[in-house]
Amino acid sequence: MKKYFAITLAIAVVALAACNSSNNNSTASQTDANKDTTAAVHQTQDTMPAGMNMNNTTTVSVKDVIAAYLQMKNAFTNDNTNDAATAGKNLQAAFINLDTKTLSADQQKTINDITDDAKEHAEHIGANGGNIAHQREHFDLLSKDMADLVKTLGTGGQTLYKDFCPMYNNKKGAYWLSETKEIKNPYLGKAMPACGVMKEEIKQ
Amino acid sequence: MKRIKKISLVLLVLLIAIQFLHPARNESLQQLPTDIATNYKVPDSVFRILKTACYDCHSNNTRYPWYSNIQPMAWMMANHISNGKEELNFSEFGGYSIRRQTSKFKSIADQVKDDAMPLWSYELMHKDANLSDDEKKLIMNWAQILEDSLSANN
Ligand SMILES: [Cu+2]
Repeated sequence: MKKYFAITLAIAVVALAACNSSNNNSTASQTDANKDTTAAVHQTQDTMPAGMNMNNTTTVSVKDVIAAYLQMKNAFTNDNTNDAATAGKNLQAAFINLDTKTLSADQQKTINDITDDAKEHAEHIGANGGNIAHQREHFDLLSKDMADLVKTLGTGGQTLYKDFCPMYNNKKGAYWLSETKEIKNPYLGKAMPACGVMKEEIKQ
Repeated sequence: MKRIKKISLVLLVLLIAIQFLHPARNESLQQLPTDIATNYKVPDSVFRILKTACYDCHSNNTRYPWYSNIQPMAWMMANHISNGKEELNFSEFGGYSIRRQTSKFKSIADQVKDDAMPLWSYELMHKDANLSDDEKKLIMNWAQILEDSLSANN
């Protein structure tokens, strides 16, 4: 009986230690959060999606970010929620690894402001495969971020079109960026592919 | 038979042992300058709904029910609250960038419209978090007006 008691005690101690360490973590992050609210805002956004390794990735340019965004946009035009989710994960990784070293401090601030918001939308789109309506809600906000991003960083050499769908979101309307002159609506998908107008041609 | 007895004894000891662990509670007495109410107009009717249906997971102050003192419930709740605050924290709202605040106002309206928030599992335990259509409309309009004014000015 003594032996079993010892084993029980050992397990309890191990469990206690394990729980305590996770406990400490949460306490630490909580006090951090109270100390610095801006840090708390940003800390959650820096997690890498599974499969990406920060050390191995080469630097990401605006071109790669646009490629991932267009991949997502085209998934939405085809009503393909799973492809949109995959693109969301790629785009989130691209935002995290986007190289801003050559930019001025001012520009860096602008870009960080944009990517902080945008990678959250990319993350939600990545996590919500199967719920295309919710993914599109985030795509609306993400597209605004992308338009601003391109304003600061350029398009990496390609021509983009800023299109507007007047019907989406209870006729509030929504923008998206496209690589084709032809309208292919990512918000209404196959139901109304041609709905929309080109508002701006972005060359750079 | 003897074995089952031993295993259940071990489990019982474990269950008792974890009762002595308490995750840090999400309770802060002071109101931060970043609080939504100090940065934006929050009508009483809206504020009441936010407090009863949102603040337990989306602010620095949780109203803890009695079972929050029992493990493993305490851990589950702590986890839930930390996730909720990561997404949206009304106590720290003013610390977000204007861009993110705009996004959050839209998401609040969208999530309520889509019945995605409050979570059904939360409504199960908190009957007053089950919002009526009028209450939903109130939140949606409030959030949308703030979203619109922010995006018009920036
Ligand atoms: Cu979402």
